[in-house]
Amino acid sequence: MSLINAPLRVLFDIVLAPFSDWPPLVGLTLISLLTAVGLLVVFKHTSNQKALDAVKRKIHAGLFEIRLFNDDFRQIVRSQLEILRHNLSYLRHSSVPLVWTLPPLVLVIAQLQFHYGYEGLAVGKPALVKVELGSGHSTDSKPAMVLTTPDGIRVDTPAVWIPSLGEMTWRIVPEVPGDYELSIMNRGETVTKTARVVSGTVRRSPVRVRGFLDELLYPAEPPVPAGEIQAIHVSYPETNVSVFGFELHWMIVYFVLSIVFAFVLRGPFGVTI
Amino acid sequence: MRRALALALLFAAGCSREPASEKRLIVLGFDGMDHALTKELMEAGRLPNFSRLAEAGSFQALETSVPPQSPVAWSNFITGMDSGGHGIFDFLHRDPETMVPYLSTTDVSGGGTTIEVGGYQFPLSGGSIELLRKGRTFWEVLENHGVETTIIRMPANFPPSGTATRELTGMGTPDLPGTIGTFSFYTSKLFAFAGQDISGGEVYEVDIFDNVVEAALYGPDNPFLVETEKVTSPFTVYLDPVDPVAKIVAGAEELILREGEWSEWVTVEFPLIPTQTLAGMVRFYLRSVRPDFELYASPVNFDPMAPPLPISTPGGYAAELARATGRFYTQGMPEDTKAIEQGVLTTEEFLAQAEIAGREIREQYRYVLDRFQTGLLFYYVGNVDQVSHVMWKVREPDHPEYDPEVDPEYEGLIEDLYVGLDEMVGYTLDHMGEDTTLVVMSDHGFTSFRRSFHLNAWLAHKGYLAVKNPDLENDPGLFVNVDWTGTRAYGVGLNALYVNLRGREKNGIVAPEKREALMDEIAEQLLGEIDPATGLPAVTKMYKREEVYRDRGELEIGPDLIVGYAKGTRGSGRSALGAVGKEIITDNLDEWSGDHEMDHETVPGVLLTSRPLKRPASSLKELGRSILVEFGIDEPIQPTEETE
Repeated sequence: MSLINAPLRVLFDIVLAPFSDWPPLVGLTLISLLTAVGLLVVFKHTSNQKALDAVKRKIHAGLFEIRLFNDDFRQIVRSQLEILRHNLSYLRHSSVPLVWTLPPLVLVIAQLQFHYGYEGLAVGKPALVKVELGSGHSTDSKPAMVLTTPDGIRVDTPAVWIPSLGEMTWRIVPEVPGDYELSIMNRGETVTKTARVVSGTVRRSPVRVRGFLDELLYPAEPPVPAGEIQAIHVSYPETNVSVFGFELHWMIVYFVLSIVFAFVLRGPFGVTI
Repeated sequence: MRRALALALLFAAGCSREPASEKRLIVLGFDGMDHALTKELMEAGRLPNFSRLAEAGSFQALETSVPPQSPVAWSNFITGMDSGGHGIFDFLHRDPETMVPYLSTTDVSGGGTTIEVGGYQFPLSGGSIELLRKGRTFWEVLENHGVETTIIRMPANFPPSGTATRELTGMGTPDLPGTIGTFSFYTSKLFAFAGQDISGGEVYEVDIFDNVVEAALYGPDNPFLVETEKVTSPFTVYLDPVDPVAKIVAGAEELILREGEWSEWVTVEFPLIPTQTLAGMVRFYLRSVRPDFELYASPVNFDPMAPPLPISTPGGYAAELARATGRFYTQGMPEDTKAIEQGVLTTEEFLAQAEIAGREIREQYRYVLDRFQTGLLFYYVGNVDQVSHVMWKVREPDHPEYDPEVDPEYEGLIEDLYVGLDEMVGYTLDHMGEDTTLVVMSDHGFTSFRRSFHLNAWLAHKGYLAVKNPDLENDPGLFVNVDWTGTRAYGVGLNALYVNLRGREKNGIVAPEKREALMDEIAEQLLGEIDPATGLPAVTKMYKREEVYRDRGELEIGPDLIVGYAKGTRGSGRSALGAVGKEIITDNLDEWSGDHEMDHETVPGVLLTSRPLKRPASSLKELGRSILVEFGIDEPIQPTEETE
């Protein structure tokens, strides 16, 4: 996954960098527009456009039949069954482009989540740093693990060791805005973790992990190197996007805008969807 | 086209509409600020901003309500009427048909008809919540004249009246379980509070297994269950095996606390049924990790971001405040005086909690003041009242509850709180603009509470109240031990005395024609009651409701007599809840060492203004109307034939 995630991180950082100081809706609108264009292009070239066109006309015909013969109960039932059958055909014809669009969409959503799903740590507001150890850790005594923070972030409490979960957690307090790298030293190995005390729309990584599926879902940082440490979390607060005073999850805004753009642009792009 | 033109003209008219009034008036309501102490501190030069006001405007005592209890006093201010008009006579009223006491300001009732499915029930109509205070508010008159009003934490105003531009409820707002504040205390110390009747909170014994404590917060009864069962929100505490620190996981939130540390607000959810939850929030205080685990949890407050009952006008205003300055105590009286009274919090811990509550209010005030543009801003601060109730003793080494080991450390604490209010006034003067008028007022004063008068015991001793079991050691209250067939008078609430009247009370025995004579007799006897410890009268004023209340409409629900206790003496809390007991006057050995629920003439409030008021006010009842006059509205608050 690293080979895919690393260039994608760079790409999204570059594309969204000009919008970091703008309201999140601005960058999200651009990404939705690009997504819509991408989906239309892929859809056009991976679907059977003629068949889709035909099946849509058949669905419309069925709807007209219901309106025209609304006093004929048997005809209405027949038309509805036809519509259902054509809908299934429509789904079958859509499945091929879906196969082509879904994997890249997952990658895009995973990247966007870490730009729009979290807000930065705030000066003076405590946050948690949590380290998860692998299953082989000892439960006899508290590990001699040390969290080192650069100037600008203070470690506010001793670590809480939870042997049953193999988990060590500290409370930190950011004192100065900035981008920081925290270091966790454990049995001679040192693993770092980013912590961003900045506002605006930037990439934030709430967890650094290892493993194919985890890396797919959490691509915002390179994977944790092999060793006892399995994952490192920083508790970024989750956030929403403000749309005309309404607070909405970014994904709702993204999907709605992408669909709206796709419908608006399907004519100019000559795509039947 | 014609329609478009009309719309454009309307829009233009809307944009250019001048506010009805550009006048700005700020009222700071400082609950419990005492006139005598304020004067003393001003003369000592400790309240320079108050002195600035006194020099530029006025400084006077402000007559409080009869009796001088906060819900009564603030209702006088709000409506311009006394209890006979607004219907709030005491913290507690009693229903004469059932003899069950209830909170005087608010009525919460559940849904009506329900459908039962298995163990679940589904209401066909929603519950209701009603503000029992009657009459029009003075800010409603202002709004009717086009004056914007912002009313923050006005007591006896829950649910919000809905008649202000912006409102946030205050004293009277319950916690999530529906009480006036129920804390929780979790401890592994076996029998820590065994046999102790904990009032205002619950103590839960918990087990530590593998350095993990599993516990739960408790909400109200689940209205969807046929069998009564409280909703719960479980949480887990992980204790570090070495260091005095723990991690708490409550719902989706995780936090770390060291010993002796308070948490920020933690949001929690109480599931009712799979599709319904109640949102609340709580502050934890980790007292000890080991050898015994001790964790305090504040009463579960409404989350201002999603309150289950209305606490603001408009509905989203509470959330706006929370977004701007952080979540805040929504429960009416945030200072947990119950926890210190019950020995769950120490003095130091209580003061830390009160400081958190006070800081929230000050931070929110700065936000509200910054956005105040025109009209009236009322902002309430209850910190001094609540802290004075439990800390007044530190001013008086001869107070029965004074602890020479601890209290000298807090000498000057109350005075320092007044200095804090003075700083708030100074901040206001510096930020309010030259054309703004500032009014500082309090609902009543404050004094020492040294002697506790057990009214129902006195009535029993004098033969006015009969008991079922004279040997009952621990009277549970709520009139359980009262024999109504022989009872002619009884007390409920802190100053209220009722005649057990035939035709009105459920088991009334006093004929209506004998009521007046009985009241005269009781009043005379109470006024002659001498406190054996002081040799002074225990009661200095007795009021008949027909004589003391000029306003009418709600008079019939009020007590027949109002007891004005001598300064330093107050009605006992147990008697207020319908317990009888044996002793009549005892030393007050509760942490609740200061009070004001006495003869109202002995505890006046304060009125300071930054310029002389156009219509001077000598009492709380008059102050609302004086505020109207400042805005050029010279009419009574309550509608009359002439004004409506």
